[in-house]
Order: sequence, then structure tokens, then C-alpha cells
Amino acid sequence: MSAQRTRERILDAAVERIASDGIDAVRIARIAMDARVSTALVHYHFATREALLAEALEHSFETAGAVSEQPGDPATRLRSMVEQCLPLPGEQERDWVLWVELWLRAVRHPELRPTAAKLYARMHDWFREAIEEGDFGPVDAGAIADHTLALIDGFGVRALLGDPAMPLERAREEVWHALAGDLGLHSGALSS
Amino acid sequence: MSPRPTTGHVRRPAILKAAAEVIAERGVIGTRIADVAERADTSAPGVLYWFATKDELLTEALAFADDHFYAELRDELARLDGARARLSRIVDLWPAEGDGEAVLWMELWVRALRDPQVAAARERLDGRWREAIAGVVREGQASGEFLPVDPDDFALMLGALMDGFAIQLALHDPAVTPERVREHCMALVEERLGMEGVPDAI
Repeated sequence: MSAQRTRERILDAAVERIASDGIDAVRIARIAMDARVSTALVHYHFATREALLAEALEHSFETAGAVSEQPGDPATRLRSMVEQCLPLPGEQERDWVLWVELWLRAVRHPELRPTAAKLYARMHDWFREAIEEGDFGPVDAGAIADHTLALIDGFGVRALLGDPAMPLERAREEVWHALAGDLGLHSGALSS
Repeated sequence: MSPRPTTGHVRRPAILKAAAEVIAERGVIGTRIADVAERADTSAPGVLYWFATKDELLTEALAFADDHFYAELRDELARLDGARARLSRIVDLWPAEGDGEAVLWMELWVRALRDPQVAAARERLDGRWREAIAGVVREGQASGEFLPVDPDDFALMLGALMDGFAIQLALHDPAVTPERVREHCMALVEERLGMEGVPDAI
């Protein structure tokens, strides 16, 4: 097996373990066991917990990015992007757990902030470009992207934690309604 | 029956204040009961008499900080004239960059992911915050300053927006400044509650 594939298997295992146990409680030996490699090899790839979390998040985002683009009219595309950013059951929920762990860890460990900043910048550019390409008239695409990401985080974390005031379906509608309003669309007409 | 520790001289509030400080500095994982005891000038059993676990210390410390926050908020808002000015003040008072309380909220979220009791405590604290926002909206509606939208829906929206931006501020995202956050929040106030026709563009 190639070194690249070994590394990917370790990362897959790390993503699952961090999501279930938390970055503070995760044991390197357990990740090694899940990935069927030696503990030494995991330590070789990840010198610190911060490095492990950063790599696991990037890995999980890269995998998600590969399936994220969908054809369709600009509004449908943006609606689908919002959908892909919320903690839907399965992989997206798992990624969200890592995302929340990253917030706290990056506040406490400044060396992780570039990872957080890079992931935010990537999301920001993704939304900004989709808005610009959508030809929605004279809107401030950057400001709308900031607004949308803040709403996704604020609503998403509540949905993730199972807040009865914010079920996933409502988070999805609220974020889309706000985004459609920023774009000058009538959100009701575009609901599917 | 175990003997009651000699905690008569220790006030629960002193422990909670110490816990809020130590947890904000070191995190729940990095905090030892002995650290809190030292900061509060008591013993570890003195802390454990009141709080069985670190998670309980975290949620109670946040509730305690919240009591202070709401007492101050009530006084501040009472001095302001009009619901719009009050809502604007609420936006200003939300934990900003480098604020210890923003870190405590993140600790709470991470612990709530895996502990239903912490999750329930988070819901209570969040509900209280939303009720403070909704209360000001109701005042504004009663006085004719605000449109008659659902106050609870609006509070949910503003609360989520402020939290989302608080994360980016806490991470020192260079693209997001406290001024920009304020503009976004007040744009929402005008857009959803404003009586004066076209809202300002954000």
C-alpha cells in the first residue's frame, strides 16, 4: 500500500475518532488500531493534537469539496450550498463536531488559527463567487457571504446540539430566507 | 453520613467567580478543582462540597456570570430612551473579541456535544438571552417603534447572527471587525423591525 493511502486511512480514522471522543480525549493508540497501523506511524504523521485536528479537518473538508458542486440555476445552487454547510445527519454532522472542536481549540492555541482562517476563507470565497456568478444585480457579494456564514454557524451549532428551538429544517429555512433577502429574491417562490 | 466540610466561611459566589476565571484561562480540560480552590482561597473539598464535577462548575459559573450580566443590562437599558436604542446597546454588549465569556460559551458547546446535562444547561442560558432580546422587541412594538413581527423568531435570528460573528471575532478572523458585526446586526434590526420602509443595505 502506498504511503499516501496509509496517510489517508489514518486521517479517516482520526476524523471518526475525534468526532466521537473529542480532540481532548482522543487516544492516538486508538486511531492507530482503527487504521490498522502502528502507533509510531501515527505519531510520525501528527506531532501534536493541534496538528492532528488541523489535518483531520482539512482532510474532511477536501473530501466534502469533491462532491459539493451541482449544476442548476444560481439560486438553486446557493440553496444547495447552504444545505451542504448545515449539520445534516451523517458526514456533515460529523464534520460539524470537528468544526466546533476547532473553534475552541483555535481560540486557546493560536497556532491553529491559520487553519480556521483558511477554512473560513475557503467557504467565504465559495459563497462570494457563487453570488457574483449568479448575476443578482448590484449586491455586495463579500458582505452577503460574511452574513450567510455567520448565520450558518449560529443556527448550525444550535441544530447540532439538538436545541428544540432550532431543528435542522428550520435552520435551513432561516438561513436561506435571509440569503434570498440579501440577494433581492423572494425566498418563498424558490422554496422546494 | 460524611462530615460536612468546613465551608461556612466560603461563599459560593467566590468559587463561581474563580471558576469562571480559571476555566476561561485554561479550559475545562486544563482546569483542576485545586486551581479553582486556590483562586477562591479555599480547599478542593470546599469546592467539591458545592460542585460535584467540572462540567457543573462550568455551567454554574456561566449562569452566575449571566446573573451579573442581566443585572447590569437591566440597569443600562433602563437609562436608555426607546426600544431601538436598547436593542442597539444589547448588540454592543455581546461578547466581543478577546472576551473571556466568548471562550466559556465555546467550552459549553464542546461539552454539550457529548453531555445531555450540559446541553440542557446551554438551552436554559440561551433561552434567557433570547428572552432578553424578545422583551425589548415587545416594548418597541407596544410603543409603536417596531413592526409587529414574532418577537421570539426575531430573537432567535439576532441571537444566531451574533453568535456566528462572535466565533469569527474570537478566532481573530482579519476579515471580520467588531464594527462590521455591529453593522450587520443593526441592518437586521432595521430590515425586520424597522418602520421606515427600505432598510439600509449591508
